Amino acid sequence: MNDPVVAILVLAPAIGGLAAWRMRGQTVELIAFAAYVAACSAGVGLILAAFQTGHVTAFGGIVSIDALGAYVLALTLIVAGLALWASPRYIRHELASDGLRPHDEGHYYALFLWFMATLITVPIVDNLGLLWVAIEATTVVSALLVGINRSPDAIEAAWKYLILGTIGVGFALLATLFAYASSVQVLGESSDALNWTRLMSIAPTLNPSLLRLSFVFALAGYGTKIGLVPFHTWLPDAHSQAPSPVSALLSGVSLVAALYALIRFHLVAVAGIGPGFSSTLLVAFGLLSMAVALPFMIRQEDVKRLLAYSSIEHMGLLAVGVGFGGPLALLGVALHMGLHAVTKATLFLSAGELVQQYGSRRLSAIRGTITAAPVAGVALGGGIVLLGGLPPSGIFVTEFAIVVGGVTQGFFPAAAATALLLALCFVALAVHGSRIVWGHPGPVLAASNFDIGLALRLAAPLLAVAVLGLWTPGPLISALESIKAILGATGA
Amino acid sequence: MSLTITLTALDAARLLDATSAGIVLVGILIAGTRSIGRAVWLVAAQAILLSAAIAGVGLATHSSHLVIGSLVTLASRGIAVPLAIRYILRQSPVRVERNPYLGPRASLVAAIAIVFVSAMAIGNATLVGSVEAPRALPAAVAEVLTGLLIAMTRRKGLSIVVGLLVFENGLALVAFSLTYGMPFVVELGATFDLLMVVVVVGVYARRMLTVFGSLSTDKLRNLRG
Repeated sequence: MNDPVVAILVLAPAIGGLAAWRMRGQTVELIAFAAYVAACSAGVGLILAAFQTGHVTAFGGIVSIDALGAYVLALTLIVAGLALWASPRYIRHELASDGLRPHDEGHYYALFLWFMATLITVPIVDNLGLLWVAIEATTVVSALLVGINRSPDAIEAAWKYLILGTIGVGFALLATLFAYASSVQVLGESSDALNWTRLMSIAPTLNPSLLRLSFVFALAGYGTKIGLVPFHTWLPDAHSQAPSPVSALLSGVSLVAALYALIRFHLVAVAGIGPGFSSTLLVAFGLLSMAVALPFMIRQEDVKRLLAYSSIEHMGLLAVGVGFGGPLALLGVALHMGLHAVTKATLFLSAGELVQQYGSRRLSAIRGTITAAPVAGVALGGGIVLLGGLPPSGIFVTEFAIVVGGVTQGFFPAAAATALLLALCFVALAVHGSRIVWGHPGPVLAASNFDIGLALRLAAPLLAVAVLGLWTPGPLISALESIKAILGATGA
Repeated sequence: MSLTITLTALDAARLLDATSAGIVLVGILIAGTRSIGRAVWLVAAQAILLSAAIAGVGLATHSSHLVIGSLVTLASRGIAVPLAIRYILRQSPVRVERNPYLGPRASLVAAIAIVFVSAMAIGNATLVGSVEAPRALPAAVAEVLTGLLIAMTRRKGLSIVVGLLVFENGLALVAFSLTYGMPFVVELGATFDLLMVVVVVGVYARRMLTVFGSLSTDKLRNLRG
């Protein structure tokens, strides 16, 4: 019964991409918009059904959407919507300034839609093998987007992303193979032996050493896509060189999609061999990521790389939170995933706007935006304050919950280190942010013309993040509770 | 008296063991060559050996999914991918790995060392899947590591891709030696992804040739910090 809806969800952007490839101008913008609306309507239906009934399945169990999957799907649709909304203005500017060649316009929207289709596939498939196929596909498609403007730096970033991403995700395939081998020992070669729901139900009978190996390889493999240190080296390059709407999608949801995959492996490991093994690794690599991101944020000279390192920090925080476990930290993780996605996407969109107006991505050039480029400038400053977790930001609540949750779970030193690193990263971001907004105005290429669409799409998400710090609507609370239940289904 | 050849499951496992040895041998040769063109043919040879092993096991176990899988492996990894890389290579002015971080002789020795270490580390581990071919898994892990070695110690873009392909052949052999492969739909998806990776490699190789005039990754050192 759900089959056609799921088909629309994935096929609308896939086919829309085919249609967009050779188109230009308003036609291609319309095609992309139509494909997005179709996918989004199907997605909203499935998300609501998943939260109401707890579980939506389709195509004979290949597709299975629980609360966690529905949530990641919702984030994908929200961030993709913001990025797509920002794309016409961004792309027209690039075409006008010869950053892109005329036929790149159709290719951009086609690749954007295919990237969206692959990201949508990640949270809805139950089979861990297909999950791997979808994540690898996100790398391949987004590598083409990263280097779309053919500049030497963009080519370098895309090449590194493609090679390191493919090798990294290769390790995640090993993880999948070990999980499959453990499951085949119990089930025989049945077609559902790689289905996550099936693995969870038989987890206690799986071979513990295979499960350990599987999680270690998943951590290295999906950790590469998440940007966990030391597998992160491609991330600042790719996220800073990509067109800004694509950066928003990469930092906002592509990282979360990979984290989602790692969480599935973590949950199988917890159910099979107890929480000690995988939780400790997650906390360790999460803290390492936060600690390594900090100095790069302090010394940063490129606004988009600054945001990229901040994404590494926040992915580290999420890994730490998942590792902590327990109701409080997991609730924090669930909400933080969403708030980070929306805030970081908005920050990349405002940074992209500023980079175009100043004709530079250097932090020493982008100064005094309060007068030179008020809309994007204020959004960037406000976004940084919210992202840093200053009250009333919702991110204050989530970071607080993760740290306190860690303490209550007995991770006292790790929780203290997390709090310290969060504070230091905030200071680093805030210093850069205040120079951007209040500094002595640098020269701009073009005076900013007020654009109501721009103001709306930058202000609305940030307002939502601020409001969520003060008041969480009832349906969202119950949604977060059901996500938390999955994250902690078997754990501590 | 019947003349039809019947393979038992045990014969199939022995066939897998033997082809694994062949794949490892070819992997050592790949590590020891400077010529990128020759390396690409050797990668193709690995894939053909792999597909032969899959076909043998498929015939022995009367599994049509494995027989089809072996044809898919042959067509994609054995033929399409090497031809595509050869095509890209023909457009490049330099077709040998001139100045790698680790020279061919040292790579050869390192690749042999990897085989011994893998055999010792995994040879008697208790990671038994559903396959009774004790030499296949160590061989597969050795290929994964040899691929990484090649990818990390070469400078030319296409040499790195050769390493990536050896790595991918190793992954396929891991899959096959643990459980005789994954569910068919996953195999198909993984193959499709590999083909797409090669297409994107081609796209960027062309752009690198246009912008930098070569496929040397020495030019890719701008982005730091």
